[in-house]
Amino acid sequence: MTSFSEVTAERQIKSGPLSHVSVELGHLYMEDFQAGPDRLRQQFAMVAPWLETVRRSWQNRTPGGRARISTCFLIDDYFSRFSTPDELVPMILDAAAENDLVIDYLARESACAEADGVKLAKLVEDRLVPDPPPGTHSWRPPPHETGWLANGTRSPVAGAGQAMKPQIRWEPPTQNAKRGHSIFVDVELWNDDNRGRTWSCPFLAAVWQLLRLGLLRNEGRLPVQPVQVDGGFPRDWDELPPVVKLNKSATPFSAYTTMSVLSTRFLQVELAVRTILSQVSVDEEVLKQVLSRSTDEDLRLEEELVDRISYVFL
Amino acid sequence: MLIMGEVRTGLLQNSAEIEERDHQTVLGLLAGERVRMSRRPIVYAVSPDLLTGVDCRLPSASNARIRGVGTLVSRATITGGRILQGSSYVRVVRGEVNHRLPWSHYLARPGVVEVLGKVSAPDLAGGFLAFGPPGEQLDLGSVSDRFMDVVQESALLDLRAPFRSDRTRLRWVAETGEPGVHFILGESTGRTLRLTHHGEFSPAVVDLCEDLALHDWLLTALLTIVQRARIGGASRPEVSARLAPAVDTLLHLWMPGARIHPSLAPLWENLERTPGFSRQWQSLVERVRDQLAVNTLALLRETNG
Amino acid sequence: MLVFAISDKGGTGRSVTSSNIVYRRALQGQDVCYLDFDFGSPTVGAIFRVSTASRGTTRGGMHRYLQGEITEPSRIDVWTESDRDTIRAKPAGAGQMVLLPGDQGGGEFATFDAEMLKRCVRLFAKLHEQFDLIMVDLSAGRSFAAHLALAATAQLPKIPARWLVFHRWTRQHIIAANGLVKGEHGLLDVGREYGHDPGALTDRIRFVRTAVLELGSGDFAHLRPAQRSWLNEIDRELRELATRNGVGLTTMLGKVPLDPVLQWREQLISDEDVAGTEIANAETVFAFDDLAKKIVDDTAWEGL
Ligand SMILES: Nc1ncnc2c1ncn2[C@@H]1O[C@H](COP(=O)(O)OP(=O)(O)O)[C@@H](O)[C@H]1O
Ligand SMILES: [Mg+2]
Repeated sequence: MTSFSEVTAERQIKSGPLSHVSVELGHLYMEDFQAGPDRLRQQFAMVAPWLETVRRSWQNRTPGGRARISTCFLIDDYFSRFSTPDELVPMILDAAAENDLVIDYLARESACAEADGVKLAKLVEDRLVPDPPPGTHSWRPPPHETGWLANGTRSPVAGAGQAMKPQIRWEPPTQNAKRGHSIFVDVELWNDDNRGRTWSCPFLAAVWQLLRLGLLRNEGRLPVQPVQVDGGFPRDWDELPPVVKLNKSATPFSAYTTMSVLSTRFLQVELAVRTILSQVSVDEEVLKQVLSRSTDEDLRLEEELVDRISYVFL
Repeated sequence: MLIMGEVRTGLLQNSAEIEERDHQTVLGLLAGERVRMSRRPIVYAVSPDLLTGVDCRLPSASNARIRGVGTLVSRATITGGRILQGSSYVRVVRGEVNHRLPWSHYLARPGVVEVLGKVSAPDLAGGFLAFGPPGEQLDLGSVSDRFMDVVQESALLDLRAPFRSDRTRLRWVAETGEPGVHFILGESTGRTLRLTHHGEFSPAVVDLCEDLALHDWLLTALLTIVQRARIGGASRPEVSARLAPAVDTLLHLWMPGARIHPSLAPLWENLERTPGFSRQWQSLVERVRDQLAVNTLALLRETNG
Repeated sequence: MLVFAISDKGGTGRSVTSSNIVYRRALQGQDVCYLDFDFGSPTVGAIFRVSTASRGTTRGGMHRYLQGEITEPSRIDVWTESDRDTIRAKPAGAGQMVLLPGDQGGGEFATFDAEMLKRCVRLFAKLHEQFDLIMVDLSAGRSFAAHLALAATAQLPKIPARWLVFHRWTRQHIIAANGLVKGEHGLLDVGREYGHDPGALTDRIRFVRTAVLELGSGDFAHLRPAQRSWLNEIDRELRELATRNGVGLTTMLGKVPLDPVLQWREQLISDEDVAGTEIANAETVFAFDDLAKKIVDDTAWEGL
């Protein structure tokens, strides 16, 4: 019988603490920043009542109304860098405070690509198991070779055809899980150029969701531990921990479910995120841990991952 | 209800055995997961499990149209720093509904293919073991093969293997029942194995099939080398030169049943009775050693006398 | 080792010569395979006399594999599937001889994409595991087959690759053979595009003259002195032309004499054809045998 105990004991999968819900209060991109602090204040003013609704609904679902709700906010430092943490973070916190919002955790978008030396995006990419179109009987080029992931079958492409053969005729793409008609989605996961690989915004957002759901492990360990920072933010983004804990008494960063309050301009991104997430194979062991915890708490979780994610678009 | 799998076995494309520390790089096919290794009685390493989604016709002896949807489990292993295997298997079960469900349903059941509609295990097993022409049917072998390719593409390997060799393919089916094995050596590189065992299916069954495939490959490779050496036909130094890679690379790798779970050991013993793997191996090894000894003696005599 | 057979023109004897080289190499005890990359005319099965593939296969060949329709191209074991008895009698100690035919009705590719290139690279790597010699018969002239081969070998620097340029012993052929290698969009040009070092690639290219009339041989005994001296003069001119075009003796791997059998039929020349029925010339077999050895003999490929 094979004993692996010499080098690695049986796989050990760590488990982490979980809140009931992780609420994302917003995403900050360059253009939001350029629009000035007023824009941020307006945004938080619109978000506040929704957070309240989430809070109330979870209090109703949990015994004794002790709902564990953590809030988070994501800043883009991946696609473009602007301002500095010591200037930007206090501004965000002020704008939130003016609307009686508490931001528990602050995350950098680049953390979804790589955090503390762990290549999270690669980790997730390797776990993509593409939804096979009918007729898939064998291996197909995986997304890590093409950089694209679809929810069905693409239209055939003309091009590499043979001479003197009938031209390839156009055929419509089809969604695998179509109901009568297709909504075909094809997502670019990354592109490469001479500066290296750039992960796409939806792909990083999918990693972000998995992080918030506490479903990622690197060699069995939890990647990205939030780091408490009390005042004094650095001048350089690289010196800011990937996920910062701003509120000492916050409930855990990761949660059974997520809720994101976002501008409607993120609608397409989030459709892409769901397309990706419905094709990620999460470690069985991790899923079991989460399930048994929730059962201990008398909570019924949706079986499917994408059903644990919800949104409010404003 | 029925487990079926296909193991492909071949020579790792490197001039020397790979070092222990290189296994993680060569077999690390999934970021964030470690390659598992054991060192005794022989260095053996196995990649993390990998999933592949399928939605296709399943094999059928009666040519019935059976559609299955789900995922296969695959892994790659390296034994003795030399022999590479790609192995895939799937548990075929009757689906609860007759239409395809959202993909996440299948993702939640890794290694299971659900049949939409009726299916009979003997029909499925018969069709699978028949090695029909590749077509639109579930093709476990090419998935195993593909993961071998990925390993062979590793930048660490120098692609200068000590000899050329074919990959062998072993198709197996396993069911619960009175323990028994039935191994058939097909023409060219195909082999089949029917296996029944007590209790629920466990990955130990896959270990057994891989171990069998490994030893069958060793035997096949050694046989080919001996045949090609043209003992009696070619000159002594030529024969010795042709036998040398066998001695250098293969002879010490023979360890049947070394990694087999005790509960399955009787099955290996069955195979040792018929077809008698170790017997044939021993006689081949003796032949190789005798040849080398005789040739060396002859050479010595020539140089001295 | 990968060996690519190419010629600027069709009808040079590329397929017949390279098939016979493969056959000789198998007889010499090496495992060999032959890939039909002459996509526009997949007829190599005819030379090996495999009737199931004389115009390409219907069981899934090179075209369908490269286009991603099938996971493995079908293989034909020539020793067992040839219709010729003399070929089916595999001598002891001979190596494997496998044919990977194109698809029946397959056509020249209009282009190739990254996926197709990957499949080609994978196929070469996999065959390298099994075969000592992988002969790839490319379409004539500047073709996508040649592009594909250059692109694929650039990604497989660890697998030795060599190129044989076939040409006849005529003015046009000599100029064309040189053009195919050094001309605009020739092998070196395109090779550079895919990352080959032109110097290193040049060292891997050798020329093979086909269907050559040997002036010293008995064939010319009946010629009048005037004819003989004219031929001698032409031959001298051609040799000069060849040297000027870099197709001279230093870059030549070998030459195959004109053979009566081959002039009438594209086929493998067996020892039986020479020693038994005596229809083919011993010199022809000798030339094939010699080429089969030189292909892998590093001294024949030392940098010039
Ligand atoms: N050494 C030779 N002597 C006589 N005829 C030859 C010789 N080599 C080839 N041929 C003939 O030349 C013709 C073209 O050969 P083939 O191999 O089909 O050329 P290619 O592949 O370059 O188009 C064929 O009829 C073939 O039999
Ligand atoms: Mg030809």
